[in-house]
Amino acid sequence: MAPALETNRQDFQNLFSLYMVIGVAIGVLVIATIAFVVLRYRQREGRDPRRPETLLKVLEGTWVAAIAGIVVVLLVSTFTTEDRVDAVSGDPARTVRVTGFQWGWRFSYPGTGVAITGNSERSPTLVVPAGVDVRFEITSRDVIHSFWVPELRFKRDAFPDRVSDFDLVVDPGVTTTGHCAEFCGLGHDRMDFELVSMDPARFDGWLRHRERRVGATHAVGAA
Amino acid sequence: MSTLAEPAPRVGPLEWVLATDHKRVAARTFALAFVFFIASGVLALLMRSELAQPGLQIMSTDTYNQLFTMHGSGMVYLVVTPLAMALGLYFVPLQVGAADVAAPRLASLGFWLYAGGGLTMYSGFLTAGGAGKAGWTAFYPLSGEQASPGTGMDMWIVGVVCAVAGMLLVAAMILLTLIRHRAPQMSITRIPPFCWTMFFTCAMTVAAFPILIVAMGLLFADRHLGPVFDTPGGPATYQHLFWFYGHPVVYVMFFPFLGVVAEVVATFSRRRLFGYPALILGLFAFTGLSMTVWAHHMFATGQVNNQYYSLTSTTLAIPAGIEYFDVIATMIGGVILLRTSMLFALGFLGLFLIGGLTGIIIGSPPLDYHVHDTYFIVAHFHYTLFGGSLMGGFAAAYYWLPKATGFLLRESLGKLNFALLFVGVNLTFFPMFLLGYDGMQRRVADYSPDAGLTTNNMLATIGAFVIALGILTFIVNVVVSMRRREPAGDDPWQGQTLEWATTSPPPRLNFAALPPIRSYAPLLDLRERRGEGG
Repeated sequence: MAPALETNRQDFQNLFSLYMVIGVAIGVLVIATIAFVVLRYRQREGRDPRRPETLLKVLEGTWVAAIAGIVVVLLVSTFTTEDRVDAVSGDPARTVRVTGFQWGWRFSYPGTGVAITGNSERSPTLVVPAGVDVRFEITSRDVIHSFWVPELRFKRDAFPDRVSDFDLVVDPGVTTTGHCAEFCGLGHDRMDFELVSMDPARFDGWLRHRERRVGATHAVGAA
Repeated sequence: MSTLAEPAPRVGPLEWVLATDHKRVAARTFALAFVFFIASGVLALLMRSELAQPGLQIMSTDTYNQLFTMHGSGMVYLVVTPLAMALGLYFVPLQVGAADVAAPRLASLGFWLYAGGGLTMYSGFLTAGGAGKAGWTAFYPLSGEQASPGTGMDMWIVGVVCAVAGMLLVAAMILLTLIRHRAPQMSITRIPPFCWTMFFTCAMTVAAFPILIVAMGLLFADRHLGPVFDTPGGPATYQHLFWFYGHPVVYVMFFPFLGVVAEVVATFSRRRLFGYPALILGLFAFTGLSMTVWAHHMFATGQVNNQYYSLTSTTLAIPAGIEYFDVIATMIGGVILLRTSMLFALGFLGLFLIGGLTGIIIGSPPLDYHVHDTYFIVAHFHYTLFGGSLMGGFAAAYYWLPKATGFLLRESLGKLNFALLFVGVNLTFFPMFLLGYDGMQRRVADYSPDAGLTTNNMLATIGAFVIALGILTFIVNVVVSMRRREPAGDDPWQGQTLEWATTSPPPRLNFAALPPIRSYAPLLDLRERRGEGG
């Protein structure tokens, strides 16, 4: 088997850890400095106020240079990660078409006739093969929605009259809930879906099974 | 000098309403913004009550949607922006030694537009379908005629246009005052820090607010005349127009309070502001960048150049770092007095920092992909808007109300006010970071009991009521202090800028005579020359 593809979740976690470490470090530094300065220079009788102007100017220059350096580091990491996250494969293992509507989702698998639809009363289940590139083509039938799977650390908006493409690699054995993240009216808070990942062989079996059911339905419909 | 100035004559209610004196127009704006603050805050308490536990307990989803729409719209259009403008309208003419604002009648018209807009927007609750319920951003097509029919939505649009146009007028007049009406000795390097923050605030307002008025006009046309945004690119175009206003307005709601904090910290450290030129140039860079970052609100759309907006947004950390350094360095070597307004200023620095640092996180598209449109964002901007702007607003209230009213606020109640708000803000908004990260999207009346969100929601709700208690303490403080009327005198804090060189409250034309202006802290210069230390 080919080496496991990096999932969006791993990319997110690596980048998030970097931002958190730097953010917490700066936050603690600044708050500790404020606390120290306030305690050190609380009003005392007869102190002659003096300020080391030159030292502070040098410090300010250093501080600004340090922030600029951190900004560069953060941007380079962000850009590298985003290039990977936004990349769409020329040869995805499977394509899923996602359509949001007030208030539910339709997931279809082009070339198979299989489509799963659910609404705010009965949420649909999106089944994807695990460990491979899955292409998502997302659109909306009415207002803007947003396809969010917290477990995968990813969302993408669904706009009407537009299709947006993204690829995701899902870990094996994932069963999780996704939400609509863009406010879309009365049923927004119940516009959920389930996401299930299966290993590719089981996924193919599942898809063939669904296809036969579609075929059967069509045959019945034709008869 | 100041002692020669005549006290303000007593005015009847009619004159109070119709007067064009910048101080009275600003006082009206404060009063009305405070009323809208209480109203929008009550909406938030209702929302938090609903969210305390999973399930729908006290209202329908439809009501909840109106509440969060009106809470956000109220706070942005009718509370924090007007508070920022009212501060400028009251104190810019005083700080630059002017007798009044430029074109006071236009500034007064600005107030009336704002008042009419606010009442129109809130009157939506009286219509059959209820108030606007498409969020404070009113994204298209949700805000279109088909998805949001009804008069409430139209009244929301008209209300936004009027309120925003009103504040645009006030901002333009403040800008004109700063450019044309400064005392003769006040060269541009002698403009006080708060006035600089207002200068950049008003510059952003003049550049950005008209775009929102246009967007609202187009939205109204789309709803009633025929398709405007109903094209494949229309919904994204609406978002571009909206955020071209919507991001600068974030700094419109931040800069003036940063200016207040800079002045308060300098005054209560008995020191001159450190790094004046760096601070001003930093604000300049901030302002320039603020006009280039708007589409970082659209990373998840997949329709903008994310890396460009990530670049400009993350770069904002540099001017922000300069502002922080200068304010903190001002305290070094000073003699710090922890009066209530100083406590609020320090609270501002600590809480806005959390808002700012999380802002860097969401300026990174791959991170924003997860937390966008979740409670993480809600937590982030409440740390900037409540932890930042409103803490700064209270610093301003305790610092400047004595100037405007002539009496001091009680320190003991003030410190209680601060403690309650500081605890309340953290208790309410910190859990929201975790809620968003753990999978709670914004703008929902309900959440699953199995999603592990219940505890943090309960904490946030308790925090919201602690905040309410803090606000109540402020009201009690004002009422109690008003009855005690402990005189403030001209200069209760050893202030550094010109507003402290006149009576409290200042006379109709502000000054009988001006002291010499040799720097951005003319009163500190006087004290230093008299050998009082500084």
